[in-house]
Amino acid sequence: MIKFENVTKTYNKTVKALDDVSFNVKGGEIVGFIGPNGSGKTTTMKLLTGIIKPDKGKIVVNGFNIREDPIKAKESIGYIADSPDMFLRLKGTEFLQLIGDIYHVPTEDRKERIETLSEKFGLTDALSSPMMSYSHGMRQKIMVIAALLHKPPVWILDEPMVGLDPKSAFELKQLMRDHTKEGNAVFFSTHVLEVAEKLCDRVVIIKNGHILYNGTLEDLEKQNKNESLEKIFLELTEK
Amino acid sequence: MKMYLRLVSALIQGVEPSDKEKKRNKIFYIVMSIIAGFGIMLPMTFFVGVIIYALTNSLSGFGTQQNGVELFLHLISAFSFIFGLNVIFSVFYFAGDIENLLPLPLRPYQIIGSKFTAALISESVMECLVIIAALAGYIIGGGMPVYSWLIAVIGTITLPIIPLVYCGILCLIVMYFTRFVKNKDTVNKITGIFTFAVIIGIVFLISQSGFDTNELIKAMSAPDNTVLAVMNCIFPHIQFLINSMELSSIWQIIIYLAINAAAVAVFMLLAQVMYFPSVIGIGQGSGAGRKGSKISIQKMRQRRPSVTYLKKEFSILFRTPAYFTNCVMINLIWPAFLYLIVVMQGQTNFLESFIYGIHSGNEETVLLFMLGVTAASVLVTAVNCIASSALTREGKHFAFIKYIPLSYITQINIKALVSIIISGSGMLIYVIAACLWLNTGIKFTLFSCLLSLLSVSFATYFGIYMDSVNPKLIWDDELNALRGNYNIFFNMAMAIVIEAVICAGSYLLFRFTGIGSITILIMLFVLIMIMNAVSYLLCDYRATKNIENMLI
Repeated sequence: MIKFENVTKTYNKTVKALDDVSFNVKGGEIVGFIGPNGSGKTTTMKLLTGIIKPDKGKIVVNGFNIREDPIKAKESIGYIADSPDMFLRLKGTEFLQLIGDIYHVPTEDRKERIETLSEKFGLTDALSSPMMSYSHGMRQKIMVIAALLHKPPVWILDEPMVGLDPKSAFELKQLMRDHTKEGNAVFFSTHVLEVAEKLCDRVVIIKNGHILYNGTLEDLEKQNKNESLEKIFLELTEK
Repeated sequence: MKMYLRLVSALIQGVEPSDKEKKRNKIFYIVMSIIAGFGIMLPMTFFVGVIIYALTNSLSGFGTQQNGVELFLHLISAFSFIFGLNVIFSVFYFAGDIENLLPLPLRPYQIIGSKFTAALISESVMECLVIIAALAGYIIGGGMPVYSWLIAVIGTITLPIIPLVYCGILCLIVMYFTRFVKNKDTVNKITGIFTFAVIIGIVFLISQSGFDTNELIKAMSAPDNTVLAVMNCIFPHIQFLINSMELSSIWQIIIYLAINAAAVAVFMLLAQVMYFPSVIGIGQGSGAGRKGSKISIQKMRQRRPSVTYLKKEFSILFRTPAYFTNCVMINLIWPAFLYLIVVMQGQTNFLESFIYGIHSGNEETVLLFMLGVTAASVLVTAVNCIASSALTREGKHFAFIKYIPLSYITQINIKALVSIIISGSGMLIYVIAACLWLNTGIKFTLFSCLLSLLSVSFATYFGIYMDSVNPKLIWDDELNALRGNYNIFFNMAMAIVIEAVICAGSYLLFRFTGIGSITILIMLFVLIMIMNAVSYLLCDYRATKNIENMLI
């Protein structure tokens, strides 16, 4: 459902953030995207969602090329950005109304989904308050609800667990599993290796704009004589 | 001292666009700086200099040559006070950096001192240009010695201090006595309304004083000038600066500097006592967790994306105090000044002949009125900066524009509509009021309204295009999105230059070619339509590309 083919991205003609990077995410897969700070994770996320454009390469989401058919591609994506601090002057319901309308979510569907998701994340009572009064975790929760509101087939989540309390993190992980069971795809970045270990069908490890590893965690552990993921990650990224 | 200088330097960097933003489009900055410099700043400086020079020359015959420049400096200080109030309130109490500064081991006067200095530097550039031009006009007009130039430099640097100190003291007192209100937005809105009330109050008092230009000119030539006597009570330092130049007296400049120092000392003392009790504890609002959310979920209805997006734009504009004051309320402030100018004119021949000209359908007067409507509509749209900060206001979450499935031109059109509705409705009210007052008739009124709306629409799309070239996306708090934003200034400069060319061109065409005013108005109408098309196409082709290529 995600095809990221031979993508290169250079900032200001000098800093090569991604160098000929390729990977795929199939339907039914949860793929974790891990790498040290500044390795190119957020750049990849931004390229996938059409926020920035690549110098070279092809990006296809749910069958739609993000450059040639951006609106269709974007409609297929549920994206959680790295910062949840947006539109803080709006109330929670106003923000969700905005997202619901932009993604053409029918009235009854949106009501049902908002109620279900806000119950799951313990946010129901806060929805009629301005988002300015939310804690960081609550803002992250409403971003999660907004991203999932239109039932997108592809989830692209940039550090989605940051700020979530244990219950909400558990709920989100469960939602990710349920989502992929229906044949959809989840691609998310994380620094928490335990999350990747427990949740992902596959991981993509990136450093300095190059893919260091793309495969299952079992294979990675086998190749490295059953060492811990943390140790393998450190060895890979510190080479 | 070291700490103070470091803080000032850090705070100024927070207001100015980052090096990254400046580098992003170097040529744009250079071209716009040249246009702003040669199109506005230089002509304005030259104009002020010439006026003061002429005033000094003509008053020297009455032995009151210093009165002109003195009154001018008082007016500049009064304006600086009026427009500084809102800035100082925001900088001292609502800026995003306060939460970072308060936990540091700094004394209140250190925080206030550095914030005050940073605000003074970033707010006074234009004011300093005007002051040096006025003082230069005075020195040349009065044939002052070389020593006066040194005084002029000292005056230029120090004159903006006391008006802002007044703002600071007023701000400390208001915030100290309203410290029980802990909601940041409520306090911010109260201070915005307070500033607005101060401006309207000043305008009302002047208009009710029965004082007009004729009397002012008479008073200028009198040795015992009551206006200056009153103004000297408010800004007592200015007379010593002028006396120092007039009398070549070192003591006068020492007194001038001592008054400045004393004002700053009092201000710092008050800051030490009053700042922390009022700033600590100002919060973003009450905690989340109201009941009734389920009801609001049930009330949700699917609407067209553009309708909800428009509602979002309005909500943010009206709910964010910095935007509400600078983008929305500003539309109410300028008519107050316009009213003041009309009142100050008194029963002059110009106003009478203008009213008579409109009533009798005098071609020149009608043309002047229409040109005025066009110019005012463009300038108001540029000054309220709703369009020229439309993308800037997105700030750090600019990416939202790019990842939602809504085309860039649709989003631009919605943002444009906000500006057209606010600027246009404001302008229409004033245009209709003016037409009713002048009793112009329905056709005249309708044409004026149409011309006004088209001018607003042009300025709006042009403003959005200007913002798209290099939006200032890195800012801590909303006021910083507008302050130190070169795009807004450049857009205003461009608006002034374009309007000056159009108005001057139309008028000269009328005066020197024998073409009738109706023909010129039709040509003006067609020209504005073409300008609308060009600015729209600029947004459709260039602004959308600029957004697409923007690195976030």
